Amino acid sequence: MTVADTVVNRSVLTSLGRVAHAPSTPLAALTLINSAGATAFAGALTLVLTHKGGALALAGLAAALIVRAVAARASARLAARHALRVKRQVRREILGGLLARTRGDAGSVGEAAGTAVDEIEALDGYYSQFRPAELDARLGPLAIAAAVTFASPVAAAILLTTLVPFVAIMALAGGAASLEAGRQFEALARLSGHFVDRVRALPVVLAFQAEAAETARVADAAQGVANRTLGVLRIAFISSAALEFFAALAVALVAVYCGFSLLGLLPFKAPESLDFQKAFFALALAPEFYAPLRRLAAAYHEKQLGEAAAARLRPRLGATLSASPARLKVDAAPQVRLCNLTLRFDDLVIGPVDATAPAGELTALVGPTGSGKSSVLAAILGLTPLDAGSVEIAGMRLADTGGFASLAAWAGQAPAFLPATVVENLMAAGPDISREAALAMAAKVGLTPALARRPDAGDTVLDERGSGLSGGERRRLALARALLKPGRLLLLDEPTADLDPAAEAEIICLIRGLAKDRTVIVATHSEALAAVADHVVRLP
Amino acid sequence: MTAPSPIGDFLRGQILARRGDLLIAAFAGVVTAAATTLLLGLSGWFLAGAALAGAAGPTAVQGFNYLLPSAGLRGLAIARTAGRYGERLFGHRAALRALAALRPALFAGLAAAPPGQALSLSAGEASARLVQDVGAIETAFVRRSAPWAAAAAAGAAAAAMIPASPWAAIAFLGGLAVQILAGRRLADHLTRGPGAEHLKAAGRLKDSLGAYLPAAAELRCFDLADRALDALMVHDAALGAAAIGRNDAESQLGLFQALVIAATVTAVALLVSQAPLPLAALSILAALAGLEGVAGLLRAAQQQGALQEAVTRLDAVLIDPGPSPTLPPAVDDAITLCGHLLPPRSRLGLRGPSGCGKTRTLEALVGLRPASTGMIVIGSTALETQPLGWARGLFAHAPQDAKLLTGTLAENLRLAAPLASDAALWEALADAQLDARVRRLPQGLETWIGDGGEMLSGGERRRLSLARAFLRPAPWLLLDEPTEGLDSRTEAALVAALDQRLMRTGQGVVIISHRPAPLTLCGIFLDLAAD
Repeated sequence: MTVADTVVNRSVLTSLGRVAHAPSTPLAALTLINSAGATAFAGALTLVLTHKGGALALAGLAAALIVRAVAARASARLAARHALRVKRQVRREILGGLLARTRGDAGSVGEAAGTAVDEIEALDGYYSQFRPAELDARLGPLAIAAAVTFASPVAAAILLTTLVPFVAIMALAGGAASLEAGRQFEALARLSGHFVDRVRALPVVLAFQAEAAETARVADAAQGVANRTLGVLRIAFISSAALEFFAALAVALVAVYCGFSLLGLLPFKAPESLDFQKAFFALALAPEFYAPLRRLAAAYHEKQLGEAAAARLRPRLGATLSASPARLKVDAAPQVRLCNLTLRFDDLVIGPVDATAPAGELTALVGPTGSGKSSVLAAILGLTPLDAGSVEIAGMRLADTGGFASLAAWAGQAPAFLPATVVENLMAAGPDISREAALAMAAKVGLTPALARRPDAGDTVLDERGSGLSGGERRRLALARALLKPGRLLLLDEPTADLDPAAEAEIICLIRGLAKDRTVIVATHSEALAAVADHVVRLP
Repeated sequence: MTAPSPIGDFLRGQILARRGDLLIAAFAGVVTAAATTLLLGLSGWFLAGAALAGAAGPTAVQGFNYLLPSAGLRGLAIARTAGRYGERLFGHRAALRALAALRPALFAGLAAAPPGQALSLSAGEASARLVQDVGAIETAFVRRSAPWAAAAAAGAAAAAMIPASPWAAIAFLGGLAVQILAGRRLADHLTRGPGAEHLKAAGRLKDSLGAYLPAAAELRCFDLADRALDALMVHDAALGAAAIGRNDAESQLGLFQALVIAATVTAVALLVSQAPLPLAALSILAALAGLEGVAGLLRAAQQQGALQEAVTRLDAVLIDPGPSPTLPPAVDDAITLCGHLLPPRSRLGLRGPSGCGKTRTLEALVGLRPASTGMIVIGSTALETQPLGWARGLFAHAPQDAKLLTGTLAENLRLAAPLASDAALWEALADAQLDARVRRLPQGLETWIGDGGEMLSGGERRRLSLARAFLRPAPWLLLDEPTEGLDSRTEAALVAALDQRLMRTGQGVVIISHRPAPLTLCGIFLDLAAD
């Protein structure tokens, strides 16, 4: 992360904050109320010590402290609600983008979860703690210095002078720290991704008895994160030590100046004459001068986390618009034309493919493993970006529509399901699918015996991977879901894999019957399925 | 705290191991807190003394020793700076090192737990436990020096007050006790719920996201993306409510603390009003600084709720792994599968209709699920009488839904044989008919295959999984639909290579296949009936 990046991150955070109605004016007013409370406290304390004002001064002492506490509470509540508005808005945008991700997008599920949960939560501290503290740090010291000026302009000048080297040190240490914080965040995200991946692959890790080796890797990764974090903190702590030093220095200098002035031993001629009341008032306010900066330092870690999170969120923000294709509609089974279609995954090139799947007919896409059958289907849906060429369905071009997912029904090779029941998953395939229709379709693809074996039958709850069903059953369920979608285009990827020959024959018969009012494209290795197709497209 | 808590034990062990850093942090905290309190008090005393001397005339001024207090002020300022740096650095160092040890311990715990339990942990949950729960424990670890610092601040302030009025010191300590006792109770009451709720809500959001993300393509195809987004935003709302609850509870607590400070400072001011001015100034300013020194302790109490919840959840991961494995079976033991005796080097085809339990049989052999009684006998030992995974060393398993690691091709292959040479990897790839494809990749074996192998096609994933199983030096290969998703030419080549390989290595094999070609290798068949 460079300095320019930091500026960009900061402006991203500022604009996010603004969109969510940052409560700057009320917060500024509360800061001033807080400083006024501190001034009143110092004044009352001076009166109490010099035995002036009596009980009223004591009451004023308590009242000033209470006013400050109430103001602090009000600003904490305001800022927390602002942070909530920012997070809600960012999360909706990021989650929308994640759900629109295409095949081959960088990042594992663990990393995505890290982005959508941890990194957005890292924004909470930025808006609920750092931003109000920053505002406070800008206004608070100046307000206190102004109050001190009434008693002793020289003491106020001393306070303001200590600010200059302090700000310089903070600027230097802060820049280096935010650079490190960015690296630490990446290390943490990688660690999270690595852990989740290995938990997901745990059956394989166990089967190969690689638990010890993988544990050692997790240990290495965790050690790396710990070292990085320590690096970040070393620098962050230098800034906090500097702050502590200047806060102490300000109090000590004011005390020494006022003390020597009262003794009449100042080595220079002061433009003011102090009495104990003025001197004590200035001293009592001196710690308050650096107090807002101490609060800012306490929240500084939140700033680093927030900016690092913004850097990682930035590429995902504003990316959703391009990924939401138009809703399309066709009234009859459409013709699908692939013209010079070329796909590229790093070094691997698929195509060019020139083919036509005529309307209302069954077209089989065959070819050796790795020839790109699945990728061509994914490209038709708009799930994979084209390198060159075009896809045309019923005269509409892919480039103009952003994908034909809304038009097509799809059953993929590794089907995934909603975390809901079997029947709910089927009913979700289209807007008006009744429970009866869903169960009837399940019967049609031969799922009835499998469901009957389970205690909850059609109400068996699935997780995202359809666990509890066998590989063949998952295929059939995905097929049933695709058939229930009232689309005129049906794309099936290896619909007969994992099935025994009898079941395969059943499904082939079913698919053959479909290709009348629908255009069907199947990617398959099955000779039997290819044999009944109206057209066969061979990929080299 | 009667239930055994592996995480609690682990943390106690780490506290012992890091006691050097923790002691330094606590000492530095004590120095900082005492210096902060005394700096303000001493300044007040110096100022008041100077004022009195100045008013009393030149003789008094000359008799006033200003060197000592001004040197004291400088010394305190430096002690405060150094103390703060040391406290933070050593406290965090101890915490970070303890946590670097916790993460692998958690993974080892997951791997040792009964597979059913570990495997039921979804991706989102795993990440929640690793990142957030461990983070909550880190915070608690860093705040371990807080009580010592608070005690030092309080002690320094009380000592400074005694010359002015012992009653003021007593009133101050009384106020402090209320602050700590009531503050801790209130912190517990106010923040435990929201803190725990926040962790839970974040876990639920991750979990739900882990369920929806793999379905992204389907969701779009079936126009369900908005529905999924709305379902996710329900978890976001819960998370937001928990965050607000936590923030509000904290600000509530801040208000209570301020009220106690106001009452205590007022009482101290009243009690020292008869004392000489320098001592009165010293007392009031020290009281103020001392009360603020307790803030760290109360902040630590506020994290308690989140900490308890994190420890409970992590404890659930590190459940007792059961009896430790006994002596593993001999490599030349014969296997009896459903009454069929398989001597070493046998080739068995496992057949039966969809859903009859063929895959489950292989998983039981590898110990990913319990074997049913009498189904599997290894040598003369019934498999179900041994701990899960007892016979794992005998088998190289290529499952139907090949799980690949996010990483490179070589990393995936070396999972089976960590020390295998590149030549051995190429040989296995050749037997799995994947070598030509890999040779075309510019980075060869070091090619990154994406999340769970998503850069590979279905057939390529399956062949990579096969090559991985080939590499494992085990007496039996267990192949679940090894040629599914392959075209017939590749399938024929693979079956021929497998035949050669089995003759060369002398391994036995159990094959499940709907397709006829792989079963041509088998000499014995076992037909499982639908249940």
